[in-house]
Amino acid sequence: MRQSLLSFICFAVLLASLFGGCRREPDLNRIVIWHQMRVDERVILEDQMKQFMAANPGISVEAIYKETEELRSGFIVAAIAGQGPDLVYGPSDQVGPFEVMEIIEPLESFFEQEYLDKFIPKGLTYYNGHLYQIADKLGNHLTLVYNKNLLTTPPQTDEELIETGKKLTISKGGKIVQYGLCWNYTEPFFFIPFMTGFGGWVMTDDGVPTLDSQGTIDGLKFIQDLRDKYKIIPGEADYNIADALFKDGKSAMIINGDWSWAGYKKAGINIGVAPLPKIVSTGLWCAPMISPKGFSLNTNVPKGKRPLVISLLKFLMQPELQLQTAKQLNTMPTRVEAVNSHFVQNDDILRNSALQIERGRPMPVVPELRAIWDAMRPSYQAVLGGSKTPEQAARDMQALALRKIKELNE
Amino acid sequence: MALNSNSKRVFRLAATYIVLIIFCVIAVYPILQVVTISLRPSDRLLSTSLEIIPENATFDNYVKLFTDQPFLLWLWNSILVSGVVTVTGVVLAAMTGYAFSRFHFIGKKFGLLSLLTTQMFPATMLLLPLYIMLIKLGLINTYFGVIIIYSATALPFTIWTMKGYYDTIPTSLEEAARIDGCNQFQAFYKIILPLAAPALVITALFSFMTAWAEYLVAAQILQDSKLWTLPLGLKSFESNMSTEWGLYGASSIIVTIPVVILFLALSKYLVSGLTLGSVKG
Amino acid sequence: MNRLQHKFFIAFLVVPSFLILFAVVFYPFVYNVVISFSNMNLRHIKDWSIIGPQQYIKVFTEPTQPNFYVVFLKTIIWTVVNLTFHVVIGVFLALLLNQREVKGKPLFRTLLILPWAIPQYIVALTWRGMFNYEYGSINLIITKYLNLPAVEWLKSPTEAFIACILTNVWLGFPFMMVIALGALQSIPHELYEAADIDGASWWHKLKNITLPLIRPVMIPAITLGTVWTFNNLNIVWLVSNAGEPSDQTHILVSFVYKAAFNLYRYGYAAALSMVIFVILLGFSLVFMKKTKATEAAY
Repeated sequence: MRQSLLSFICFAVLLASLFGGCRREPDLNRIVIWHQMRVDERVILEDQMKQFMAANPGISVEAIYKETEELRSGFIVAAIAGQGPDLVYGPSDQVGPFEVMEIIEPLESFFEQEYLDKFIPKGLTYYNGHLYQIADKLGNHLTLVYNKNLLTTPPQTDEELIETGKKLTISKGGKIVQYGLCWNYTEPFFFIPFMTGFGGWVMTDDGVPTLDSQGTIDGLKFIQDLRDKYKIIPGEADYNIADALFKDGKSAMIINGDWSWAGYKKAGINIGVAPLPKIVSTGLWCAPMISPKGFSLNTNVPKGKRPLVISLLKFLMQPELQLQTAKQLNTMPTRVEAVNSHFVQNDDILRNSALQIERGRPMPVVPELRAIWDAMRPSYQAVLGGSKTPEQAARDMQALALRKIKELNE
Repeated sequence: MALNSNSKRVFRLAATYIVLIIFCVIAVYPILQVVTISLRPSDRLLSTSLEIIPENATFDNYVKLFTDQPFLLWLWNSILVSGVVTVTGVVLAAMTGYAFSRFHFIGKKFGLLSLLTTQMFPATMLLLPLYIMLIKLGLINTYFGVIIIYSATALPFTIWTMKGYYDTIPTSLEEAARIDGCNQFQAFYKIILPLAAPALVITALFSFMTAWAEYLVAAQILQDSKLWTLPLGLKSFESNMSTEWGLYGASSIIVTIPVVILFLALSKYLVSGLTLGSVKG
Repeated sequence: MNRLQHKFFIAFLVVPSFLILFAVVFYPFVYNVVISFSNMNLRHIKDWSIIGPQQYIKVFTEPTQPNFYVVFLKTIIWTVVNLTFHVVIGVFLALLLNQREVKGKPLFRTLLILPWAIPQYIVALTWRGMFNYEYGSINLIITKYLNLPAVEWLKSPTEAFIACILTNVWLGFPFMMVIALGALQSIPHELYEAADIDGASWWHKLKNITLPLIRPVMIPAITLGTVWTFNNLNIVWLVSNAGEPSDQTHILVSFVYKAAFNLYRYGYAAALSMVIFVILLGFSLVFMKKTKATEAAY
């Protein structure tokens, strides 16, 4: 009897705490941001939000982290149902699908041209004639990261890359203990630099895929050669493997993005960052995709609340804050003033990063890009798994991309 | 002859232990890997070492969880949600399972089947309409919405378990109780329910675990970080290409510990042999 | 007996559960049925309209790679293999643990339950790491202690699929073990003692006492287990990293997920979900009819 009384009391207490104070009405003084920032970026964002709240008493700002894919699907579901965060933060390619679904709001009417001119053009993402995203960071780009303890001068060309790679690939007793180079073999995003180095690109400006090209074939062949002929890269690698190899000092170089640098420094690797090499036979630089990362406005934000949300956006875009972020994370700012600052112009990593951005190609914003990735992935993996020839892969990529785009737009 | 059967028994017992130990190692090993990750000083998922305790092992990640992160809040939220789901789940399953075991009523067969059918639809596809519905009901960002969904997720299985267990308890026990002057509810509550303790334990455990580790629904409904449950907090250490494996591993271990404790505590009831005694009588 | 009172009692027992289930499942289900006949996708996310059974036709005829039938076959293999191992290992361990002579039962039981206790998305990632060619402990053990060549687990479709199955077998057996344990507890020991007096063999006791008596609890567990395994998105999605290599490790439910959330094809995904639903419903009806039929034969 006493036992059941006890459990009843427990239950009642639980229920009471359940209903007490967890319901909240939509609040005009509370701004919510959904983002997919890494932890070190989040810390900076939280700090900047605190500064904003201190300057604007009565206003609260909350940032919620979601993984990139979950951010997209979650935002779509919430926005269709008429809810969701006020601001959504991420790389520019999410603008395409969001615009088509009409769940983000054009931003140009909220800003004067004079203000927008203070940004470098790549920092503002326009789509179908409207401004949909304002970025605080530019890049998200792949570069060649190298371990300074293992090599001093990074390779400038593909020939140098192979030569350096061979020197740095060391085997002991028939087992390779150190590779010259590694990267993620599962995501076609990491194939783009090879494709562009051999003159290929994913699509035309109208979103028609151009995957069945000599550039794709030669790029794939080049990777195959790196693995089978020159034997300077591992046989199997996904993001985590490549990352671990480099962190363990078992790979002298890695192709990875600007997001990874801080982690390598933390792991105690003495890193250098260099632009990806030039392909001698084509005379082209390997060009990674460049994308700004920034904020878009949810269409469901009530009209009366928009000025407040925009003031937060402007606050976060201050050149001083961007510069502060750049100093801590080696990211490329988007305000002209910050880009031209002494620090950005003279920091070794940022200088090379800027050079890589200059040589890179902007990531297309159209929703079709999604279909392109999905079409490239299987064949890219099949080539690296040895079950497809580069020619076949290029043909399959193109055919699959065409079909996926049709499915997407049916 | 006697010696022979005795040595046979010893041999069988030894074989039992060996097999059990092998399976325990298999069961525990991948989890030890998570422990290893949580103890590594740098954020690393992979390593070529087979050692369980890594080089330069450190509890930093655990300390960080409690000092730098609102981990205690997440923990409390999870306990709250899982606790209510467990109680709700046990009460409802015990009642409904009993009806399905003992009585004949219209739609019984259909009811039992429809319980099963709720599990047949890919759950991710229910998310969008559920979300729209919860918005209409004003239940977004409340535990109430999450708890209703978790309870519903666990119920079909728990009702079936309870029904299956009640079926093994002879009806003569209730008949005897009715003769002694109990009404229907009393016969159920006082006589049958205590006998069904092992099944109730499984029901409680299952309901608890449904809520404890759930992520997808929680992520969509609890959009205020003050309301976050443990899995949401845990997932926040994972980011696209730079996961904080150390914190991730540490919080995974801490998420697992309460379940292990719970099972340890409840296992007493599992072996209590309540049913055994009364059927004898 | 007061009949009205009796009916009221049954309603009191049954209605609350079904109210909750109805609220959580019924509306979303009907919504999905409607969507499955619509063109809801990227271009028609808010302004979708009913277009008839075209999405269903697409499910069966669209030359997706791999196509519906291949994925369906894989899903069946996935389900059957997983469930067989879950039940066999689970019941086997429960039988071992249920022996009177065994000491340290709570410890064994607790260790064996661990795979169930730890959240799936955590171990899925750990297992993916363990299957890694270079770093994975499975290959390290294979090469170091067994002197066998390392296996490229995640690079080719068959091995990757086996890797997913191994992971899920590991995850699933504790559940069946607990269920079987719960059932074994309820078997009166006198039955075994009586059988011992009759000189029954170990196998005889298993076949004639144990298995028939744990059946009422195991049958629903197996039916549910089938449905769950069939629809288990987590493991395939996380271990194979969304169907790698080359989208060849999909089961139907990961296919749905991909269609809905990667390509925004909500109409198509809803139709495919309905197909999954009908397949599972058909299976369960047949399975339960079969098991009921054998029950009557006792």
